[in-house]
Amino acid sequence: MTTTGNTSSPASGTATRLRRRWPIWLFRITITAAAILAFNQAVFAGQFLSGTYPALRLHRDMANYTVAAIAASIITAILWRRAGAGPRWPLPAAVALFALTALQTFLGYRLVLAVHIPLGVTVILLLVALTAAAWRPTR
Amino acid sequence: MSPINRRTALGIAGAAITAAAGIGIPFVSGLTGARSTGKLLPSRTPIPPAFRRRLTIPPVLRPSRSDTTTDYYDITQTVARAGILPGPATELWTYNGSFPGPTIRSTRGRTVKVRYTNNLPVPTVVHLHGGRTPPDSDGYPIDYVYPTDMSYYALHHNPQQMTSDHGRMTMTGGDTREGRRTHVFPLDQRAATLWYHDHRMDFTGPSVWRGLAGFHLHHDAEEASLRLPDGDLDLPLMITDRSLDSDGSLLYPSLDPTLVNRPGVRGDHVAGVLGDVMLVNGTPWPVMTARRGTYRLRFLNACNARRLSLRLDPPPPNGIAQIGTDAGLLAEPVRHDHLELAPAQRLDVLIDFSGYAPGTRITLVNDFDTTAMGQVMRFVVDDGRPEPFKIPSRLSTTPPLRPEDAVVTRKFDFRAGDVDDHDGWLVSHAPFSPDTIAARVRLGTTEIWQLNADFHHPVHLHLSPFQVIARGSEGPGPYDAGWKDTIDLRPGEQAKILIHFDGYPGKYVFHCHNLEHEDMAMMANFIAT
Ligand code: HEM
Ligand SMILES: [Cu+2]
Repeated sequence: MTTTGNTSSPASGTATRLRRRWPIWLFRITITAAAILAFNQAVFAGQFLSGTYPALRLHRDMANYTVAAIAASIITAILWRRAGAGPRWPLPAAVALFALTALQTFLGYRLVLAVHIPLGVTVILLLVALTAAAWRPTR
Repeated sequence: MSPINRRTALGIAGAAITAAAGIGIPFVSGLTGARSTGKLLPSRTPIPPAFRRRLTIPPVLRPSRSDTTTDYYDITQTVARAGILPGPATELWTYNGSFPGPTIRSTRGRTVKVRYTNNLPVPTVVHLHGGRTPPDSDGYPIDYVYPTDMSYYALHHNPQQMTSDHGRMTMTGGDTREGRRTHVFPLDQRAATLWYHDHRMDFTGPSVWRGLAGFHLHHDAEEASLRLPDGDLDLPLMITDRSLDSDGSLLYPSLDPTLVNRPGVRGDHVAGVLGDVMLVNGTPWPVMTARRGTYRLRFLNACNARRLSLRLDPPPPNGIAQIGTDAGLLAEPVRHDHLELAPAQRLDVLIDFSGYAPGTRITLVNDFDTTAMGQVMRFVVDDGRPEPFKIPSRLSTTPPLRPEDAVVTRKFDFRAGDVDDHDGWLVSHAPFSPDTIAARVRLGTTEIWQLNADFHHPVHLHLSPFQVIARGSEGPGPYDAGWKDTIDLRPGEQAKILIHFDGYPGKYVFHCHNLEHEDMAMMANFIAT
């Protein structure tokens, strides 16, 4: 799987670049999972703020899975770009989100809620936008 | 549509369904929220039948002696066995052998001195909840009274285990005593339903669970002038939920069952321990015969974590008139159709049973639960007719505190957090340490404290009662009237209380009265000068 966008034939242009389909699917799966997990953080926050203690545990455990899903998206973004001749944006976007979510987790543990909550909303928005972009039909 | 686009479209549909399920299932399954922050601990024995046994009223303690200013009492903390289940007896930790402990009745103007003797296997600390008490008698959490017989403690005590982690448990004790200690209660305060209970640092939950709690009913001239129902018409009702093991003993999810070294409870019980047997004055779901007259019922929620919403079914034709709360009588009666009560709170109410026909069975229900715990006790009306009582329209004069008089506003955050690398509870990001002072207050001044909560946190202040002035953007709630010593903070809530500091200089604690939260460090100090 070392064929990448860079090595595709310069003569025939993008239309004939070797475009494998499976990497985009991997990216779609991981980024969608990350978006769902992140959105559920708001669901669980709502629940523990209604007095359901196990939802706090879920919120904390799901923080790890959210970060993990974004880490996986970094890998699938690389694969999409390299093996699937995908666009450039997914990789920096996934890396930025990874950093934001790691920060979000840290702020959660430190109970810096004045930042944690707006940043949480931002992370969710960005992940949804990224997911929507990933699902845009590719020609 | 090209095959690729069809595949993409199918993929989008699939993703949408996954997302809907992935979000919808957790969303819907958690919609109800919780009435109490805590986890049910199921009994390992069939729960006893409801409404079979009679309600008992704890014995009133007689002074050992009295002089012109003071009444002297003796209370021994001792292991006792009680018949809670139809089957085997239940071993309890008690004050003078009874659960609840004996009731102390005091009158303003006379000092009470209680000599406590600790015949239990572990150290104890007694706190008079709601008492305006000098610091050396207030039961500071490390002012241990060591057992008269140290053999059990010496056998199990393991200093290594205690000094683990981050040193929070290195405390060897404050102002300690061997075997006994005399508490001096000046009780220069308004008539009120007080209670006393164990307050040992890190182990209050299991100690109270095992039975270390009793009433202290304080009286004054203002209350006496109202001629409220008294004698057998004045009923202190201590409501506690407990769970029982198959051998009849009390079940509690302690990490260290010796209750000597490591504090804390297993797993999600750190949220609070909820029992599945409802006791009123130590008897499961008791029955009481009520005469057709007006009773004064003093409800105390002495559960570790359970909140209660009490209602009479069928409802009393003349309603429920609340006349008092934690720190004494209200200015005027407040009508309710039900009563919400967080752990440690008291509501003092008058209920007129004369509107019920003789023979009526009235169930005291708890609308915060749907299982057997949705019931509390039963009254059966007979045809006795005590003298009718007319509820006065004015009860007491309590100068209202004014927010303008507050000299400072402080903010405290009650939230989940790590304590010694375990799940615990924090006050403004800090676990309890006897050496950390969260507030320095001046006696004679008034302060506003803004309290924020993530879960249910019944926050209790020692020494000085307070008035609730706001919940969120609203005013006080229906059960916030009068002077409180414990506020029922609900999840995500932000409340403001107005405290008039008054009494004695020294170091006192304020803490969450969900006892599992308290034991897992949700406590802080203030120093009054
Ligand atoms: C990507 C999203 C998120 C991550 C990774 C995350 C992570 C965390 C973590 C690790 C904690 C600490 C839990 C603990 O102390 O046990 C926390 C706490 C918290 N989070 Fe989040 N969170 C996210 C989104 C959100 C959102 C969207 C909200 C609200 C709308 C929220 C509200 C809270 C609150 C209120 C707390 C404090 C818990 C308490 O007071 O006990 N979080 N979060
Ligand atoms: Cu609490």
